[in-house]
Amino acid sequence: MSSDSIIGKSVPRQEGRDKVTGRSQYVDDMVLPNMLFGATVRSRIPRGRIKRITFGAGIAWDEFVIVSAKDIPGKNCIALIGDDQPCLASECVNHPEEPILLLAHPDRCLLPKAVEAVAIEYEPLPAIFTMEESERLSEIVWGADNIFKTYLIEKGEVDDVWEKAAYMVEGEYTTGAQEQLYIENNGMIAAFEAAQGITVWGSLQCPYYIHKALMALCNLPAEKVRVVQMETGGAFGGKEEYPSMIAAHAALLAIKSGKPVKIIYDRMEDMAATTKRHPSRTRHRTALSKDGMILGGEIDFTIDGGAYATLSSVVLSRGAIHAGGPYYWPNIRIRAKAVATNAPPHGAFRGFGAPQSLFAMERHMDRIAQAVGLSPVEIRRRNFLHPGQSTTTEQVVREPIDLPKLLDRALELSDYRSRKNRFANENNASTSRKGIGIAAFLHGAGFTGSGERYLSSVVGVEGCADGTLRVLVSSTEFGQGTKTVLSQIAAQALRLPYEKVSVAQADTLEVPNSGPTVASRTVMVVGKLVQSAALGIKQTLISSKLLKDDYTAGEFSVACQEYVVTHGQFRSWSRYEPPADVFWDDEKYRGEAYAAFAWAVYVAAVTVDLTTYSVAVDDFVALQEVGKVLHPLLARGQIIGGVAQGIGFSLYEKVVWQNGRMRNSQMTNYIIPASTDLPPIRVFFEELGNVHGAYGAKGIGELPMDGPAPAIVNAVSEALGVQFDSIPLLPEDIMESLASEESTADSSGKIG
Amino acid sequence: MRSHPSDFEMIAPGSLHAVVSLLTREPGMWLPIAGGTDVMVQYAAGMLPSRKLVSIWNLPELRRIEVTASEIQIGAGYTYTDLRNHDIVRREFPLLHTAARWTGGIANQNRGTIGGNIVNASPAADSLPALLVYDAELILVSVRGERRVPYASFHTGYKKTLLAADELVQAICLPRRFAEHFGYARKVGARNSQAISKVCIAALGKVSNGVVEEIRIALGSIAPVPLRLAETEQAVKGKAIDSDLLLLAKRAAAAEIRPIDDIRSSARYRAAVAGNLVAEFLNRLGAAFAETGEARDFLVRWNRLPVDKAISLILSCCGSKAWAHGVVSRRPLADEAALLAASHDAWSSLAHADWNEAFETHPRIGESRASQASPQSVEWSAEEQRNVQQSESGVQKALADANREYERRFNRIFIICATGKSATEILEILRRRLKNDAATELHEAAEQQRQITHIRLKKWLQ
Amino acid sequence: MTNKSKQRAKTEISFIVNGEPKTVRAYTMERLLDVLRQQLELTGTKEGCGEGECGSCSVLLDGMLVNSCLIPVLQAEGANIVTIEGVAAGDTLHLLQQTFLEHGGAQCGICTPGMILAATHLLNEKPAPTLEEIREGLSGNLCRCTGYSQIVEAVAEASRRKAIA
Repeated sequence: MSSDSIIGKSVPRQEGRDKVTGRSQYVDDMVLPNMLFGATVRSRIPRGRIKRITFGAGIAWDEFVIVSAKDIPGKNCIALIGDDQPCLASECVNHPEEPILLLAHPDRCLLPKAVEAVAIEYEPLPAIFTMEESERLSEIVWGADNIFKTYLIEKGEVDDVWEKAAYMVEGEYTTGAQEQLYIENNGMIAAFEAAQGITVWGSLQCPYYIHKALMALCNLPAEKVRVVQMETGGAFGGKEEYPSMIAAHAALLAIKSGKPVKIIYDRMEDMAATTKRHPSRTRHRTALSKDGMILGGEIDFTIDGGAYATLSSVVLSRGAIHAGGPYYWPNIRIRAKAVATNAPPHGAFRGFGAPQSLFAMERHMDRIAQAVGLSPVEIRRRNFLHPGQSTTTEQVVREPIDLPKLLDRALELSDYRSRKNRFANENNASTSRKGIGIAAFLHGAGFTGSGERYLSSVVGVEGCADGTLRVLVSSTEFGQGTKTVLSQIAAQALRLPYEKVSVAQADTLEVPNSGPTVASRTVMVVGKLVQSAALGIKQTLISSKLLKDDYTAGEFSVACQEYVVTHGQFRSWSRYEPPADVFWDDEKYRGEAYAAFAWAVYVAAVTVDLTTYSVAVDDFVALQEVGKVLHPLLARGQIIGGVAQGIGFSLYEKVVWQNGRMRNSQMTNYIIPASTDLPPIRVFFEELGNVHGAYGAKGIGELPMDGPAPAIVNAVSEALGVQFDSIPLLPEDIMESLASEESTADSSGKIG
Repeated sequence: MRSHPSDFEMIAPGSLHAVVSLLTREPGMWLPIAGGTDVMVQYAAGMLPSRKLVSIWNLPELRRIEVTASEIQIGAGYTYTDLRNHDIVRREFPLLHTAARWTGGIANQNRGTIGGNIVNASPAADSLPALLVYDAELILVSVRGERRVPYASFHTGYKKTLLAADELVQAICLPRRFAEHFGYARKVGARNSQAISKVCIAALGKVSNGVVEEIRIALGSIAPVPLRLAETEQAVKGKAIDSDLLLLAKRAAAAEIRPIDDIRSSARYRAAVAGNLVAEFLNRLGAAFAETGEARDFLVRWNRLPVDKAISLILSCCGSKAWAHGVVSRRPLADEAALLAASHDAWSSLAHADWNEAFETHPRIGESRASQASPQSVEWSAEEQRNVQQSESGVQKALADANREYERRFNRIFIICATGKSATEILEILRRRLKNDAATELHEAAEQQRQITHIRLKKWLQ
Repeated sequence: MTNKSKQRAKTEISFIVNGEPKTVRAYTMERLLDVLRQQLELTGTKEGCGEGECGSCSVLLDGMLVNSCLIPVLQAEGANIVTIEGVAAGDTLHLLQQTFLEHGGAQCGICTPGMILAATHLLNEKPAPTLEEIREGLSGNLCRCTGYSQIVEAVAEASRRKAIA
C-alpha cells in the first residue's frame, strides 16, 4: 500500500473548476428546442372547497397549455411514504399555495399575468394554524384526529422516579419554521415522447424519489421514466421531496403539450410554497438526585407537519430518538407526535428533527443546572453517556467515546473559564452584556433503525474503456462534496491516482439506486459500498489474470482497457448488507437506532447590545468526533456552513405567518446572516473511527445544525440572567423580555 | 420576473433639459429612473404601475458635486459610492458618509443615488435623517426653472413629497457649518449589512459651558416620514448632560415618534431602541466635549514639539524610527482621524528593515519584556496580552513552544495583534502562520504590526 | 387576445461583453441579467432573488460591481461588461478562481460567479484589504453553504499573492 494516502487529503473538488468559471450547468441554464415554460396556479386560501374556476379576460388562453387534476394519467398524488398529498388539488384545498392548475406558454414573461388572471371561487372552511389548535380538535383537517404519526419510547420505569427525586425541573421549548434558502431556486425540465417515456432534468437530491413518484403519477413502468440531476445550487433537505412535485407538474405539461416544459420558481414562490423545517414544541419534566444525576424524565415532542403527511413521520422519528441528548437516562418516556395544520407541508431540512429536540434538551440542561445549583459544565459532566451505557432506545455505546474529555477540550479551545470570569466582572458596563454557552450533543448517521436495510442501496463502479474508473451512484452532489469524496474512496481502495476517478452524472438510466442523498449517509454508507464495488473491479481483473496483486497505476489502466476490449461493459456492483450486530425493533421503537453516532460539544461567546437588543456571536468553537476526516477542507466547510445555518436558525430567521401563508417570502424580509454577521467559526475534529463507515467515517452533514442554537441561547440567557426558551430569538423578543423583567421577577424551572 | 418587458418602455434622452421637457409635455406619463435599485425591484415583482420610464442615470448635470466656501451641492444623480469617495463629504458631513456606507451592499451603492433615496421617500431610507440634521435644501428643477426648498418640508406624508409632476430633484445643498459639531449616526437593521432599517438616527450636537448649546436629532423608520425630533431637542437644549437628562430625552423621544408594527419589526421595539439611541447620542456628546478638549490639547502641544522630541514620544506606539519620522513629518495633525491617516501613510512607505525594527520592540507573546521596548510600550504589551497571561498553563506552554519554533523558522519574534483574542485563538493562528513561506509571513506580520500601532495610537491620545 | 397595440418594439443596444462587442435586439426594459443569460447565452450569471439582495447576478459594468437583475438593458448601452465567463484568461484561471479552488470557496457553486466578481472588484479597489474589509466587500453576496469563512480566506490569500507577485 502506497504511503501517499488520498484519504485524509484535501484533493481538488471534482467539479470545482466548472464552478469557479461559471461553466456548471444548473437546470435554468439548459434550453431545449421548442421548450415551453410552466407556471402553477395556487390556492389563496388555507382550506376550502373549490367551487368554480374562471379564466379571466385579457389573456390569449388558446396559446396556453392548461393542465388540471383530470389530466393526470395515473394516481393524483406525489408518492412518498403515505399517498395523501395530491399533485393537483381537484375538489378541495388544504393549505395556501396548494397547486391547483398548471399553465405553459412559449413566452416565460406572459405566465405571471396569466396565473393572476385565473379566478378561483372557494367555499372556505375553518382552518387551523398552530399545534395547539390542532391538538384541541376543534377542526379536524387530517385523518380522524389531526395526527400524522406518534411514537412512544420507553425505558426503565419512569413513573417510579418522581418520589425519589430531590429536584424536579420542567420546561417548554419551541422552535420556529426555517426556510432552507438554497441560493438556486427549485426548477425542473420535463420532456415526453411516447416511445421513451418521461425524462426530467432538475435541481434535486433524490433522483429515485422522483422516479417512483412519476411512475405512479403518469402510470408508466420504471424503464419509461428517467430522472437526471443537473448541477444543484444548494439543497439542505429542501430538495429532498418537493422536487417530485415540480417534476410531476412539468411532466404533466410535457405530456399534454408534446413539448419540453421548464418550470423555474422565482424566490417569492419558492419561499412561500415549498417545504420548511418543522416547527416544534418540546416539554421536559425531569427528576434528579441531590447530586444532579438524572433519575428519569418525560419528554413530550410535538412537530407541526403542515397539511399533508409527506416526511413528517421520519422527521418525528429522528427528533424523538435524539430528544434525550448525549446523556444517560436510566428511565425515560418520550412521547412524540406530528400533527396537521393548514400550512404548506413542512419537510426535510438539515438535521431533520434533531435540531429541534436537541435545542430543547440543551436549553433544559442549563435550566436544570440552575435549579440544582451546579454549573452548566458540571451538570453535563455528571450525566454524560459512557461506553457500556445505553441510550434512550437502549442502544449500548460501544465505542470509546470520552464525553467529559471532549467537553474539557472544547472548554480549553474556547477559553471558557477565563472568558466566563471576565464577563462576570465586565458585565456591569451598561451598554452590553457578554455570555458564553455550551451545547453537547450527538447525531446518528444513516437512516434510522431498519431504514438502511429497507433502502437496500446498490452502488456500481465502472472500469472505462480509457482505463479510468467511474462511480455509479444516485447520490447527488449539491456542494457537500459527494463527487469528490466518493472518488477519493474509490481511488484509495484501488491505489489509483485521484485524477483517474470520476462520478457519473446522477441519471436513473445510468446509475443504480444508492438511496437518497439525505441523513448524512453518503460518505458513511454509500462510501463503504463504493469501496467494495471498487474492490470488485480489482478482483475481476486479478482473477482474469490481467493484473497482479502489486500493480502500478499504469498497469491497472492497461488491464482495465484490455478487459473492456474483450468483454465490453465492465461494471462491478455492491449492495448494502446490514451489519450483523445492529438490531432495531420497529414495534417497540427500541434497539440500535443508528449504526454510528457522531459526538460534539459547541461553545458560543456572544455580546448582547443593550441599546439595540441584538446579539452578536463573537467566537464560536465547534468540536466534534466524526470517525475519520476524509477530506479536511470539505469537512471544515461543512461544519462552518452548518454552524452558519444554525446561527441563522437561532438569531435571524423568522417565518412571519399570516393565515398559514408566509408573509415575508422575499430575501429582503427573510434574513439569513451575511458575511459581516458571522465570526470566524473555529472547527476541530477528533477521530475514533467507525467500523460501519468508509475508512472509518461517520456522517457529518447534519451534525453542525444541532449545536449552535442551544449554545447561543444558553449564552444569551446567561448574559442577561433571563431564560429564553424559544427560537428564533430576535432583538424584539429580548427587548420585550427585559422590559417585563423590569416589572416582574422571572420564574425559571420549578424546583421540587 | 413578474412583468413582461414588452409592456414597458424606457427612453434615455441624455440631458436634463430633454428630461424635464418631456415631463412637461406629457405630465404624469413618465417615471424617472436613475440607478433603479428601488424601481427595478417593484418591476420584477410585477408591482410597477408606470409603463413608461425615462432614464436619468449618469446625467452629467445630476451626477456631479459643486463645492463653494459656504455649501456643497450634491447632484441628485450622485451615487452612494460617489459619496463615500468624496473627501469633503467624508470630513465635513460624516453622517451622510456613514449613511452611504450603510445602504445595501457595494453593488447597490454603485447604482443607488441620493436623489433616488429622497424621491422614493421611504421612511426607512438611510440617508434622509442625515439630510435633516444638516439643514439640507433641495434644488428642484422643471422647464419653469429652479426652486429651492428646505428639505425639512419636502416630505408631506407617507411616500408623498412636494415634487410637482413635471419636476425633478436636481441637487441637495448642505451648508458647510457643521465641522465643529459632534456627529453620531447609527442604523439598526436585522443584520449588519444590507438590511432595511428598523430604526436609524443621525444627530449633531455642541456643548458649551457645560450645557447643550446646539442639538439636532433625526430618526428614520419611526414615522411615515423621516422625522426631526423638534420637541426632544427643545427639552434637551440648554441643559447639562447627566443621567436625568438622558432619561428625560428618552421619554420625550418616545412621545414624539409614531412607530408602527410591520413585517420587519414592532412599534414597541422601535420605540425602545429609538429612546436608547437618543440616550446613547447624548451620552457620547457629553463624553466628546469632556474629552475632546484634553485630546485636542495634547495633539496641539505635540504638533509644536521639536522633531526629535515628537519622534521619541510616538515611538511607544510603533518602534520603527522611519515610521515615526513619517508621521512627524506630516504634522500638524488636527485630530485622531488625521493621526491615524498619517500613520497608515507612513507605514505604507516603509522598507522591510523598518518593519523588523518595529517587530523587535515587542515581547514574545506570553512573556513580559522585549529588549528594545519603552516603559509605555511594555505596559501596553501587557494589556494587549492579558488574555494570554490569564489562560490555562497547558496553553501557555504550547504557546511558548510554538513561539520558539516560529523564531527558529523566521528568525524574529511572532507578531500578532493580540487585543481581544483568546490564547487558544492566538495559538491556532501561530500554528497556521508557521506554515507560511517567508515572504507571505513577513506581510502578515507587518499587517499585524499596523493593527497594533493603530490601537496604540488611540490610547496614546488619551 | 394579447393587446398587441400596447406592445413595444425592440431596440438595438450595443455594449462590450468580456472584451467582445455585442449588439442585441431587446425591449428597453429587459433586465441585463436576462439579456446576458438568454440572448448572449452567458449562463454563468445567476438569478437567486430578482431583487438585488443575493448578489448572484453580480457583474462588472464599467469596472463597477452591479446587480444585473436591477439594470434595464437600455442603461447598459455602450458599457463595458465583465461576467464570470470573462474572468479567466482563456484556460488560465484568474488568481481568485485559483484560490477559491484551493480554499474551498465554492461548495454548491451557485453564488460563486457573483462572489468572484465581487472579490475581483474588491481587490481592484483595495489591493490589500483587511479581513473586515473583505467581509464588507462581500456583504452584498449571500452564500448559504460555506458560512463565508473559506471564501474570505480565499480572497485574503489572493490579495497576499498579488502583493508578493
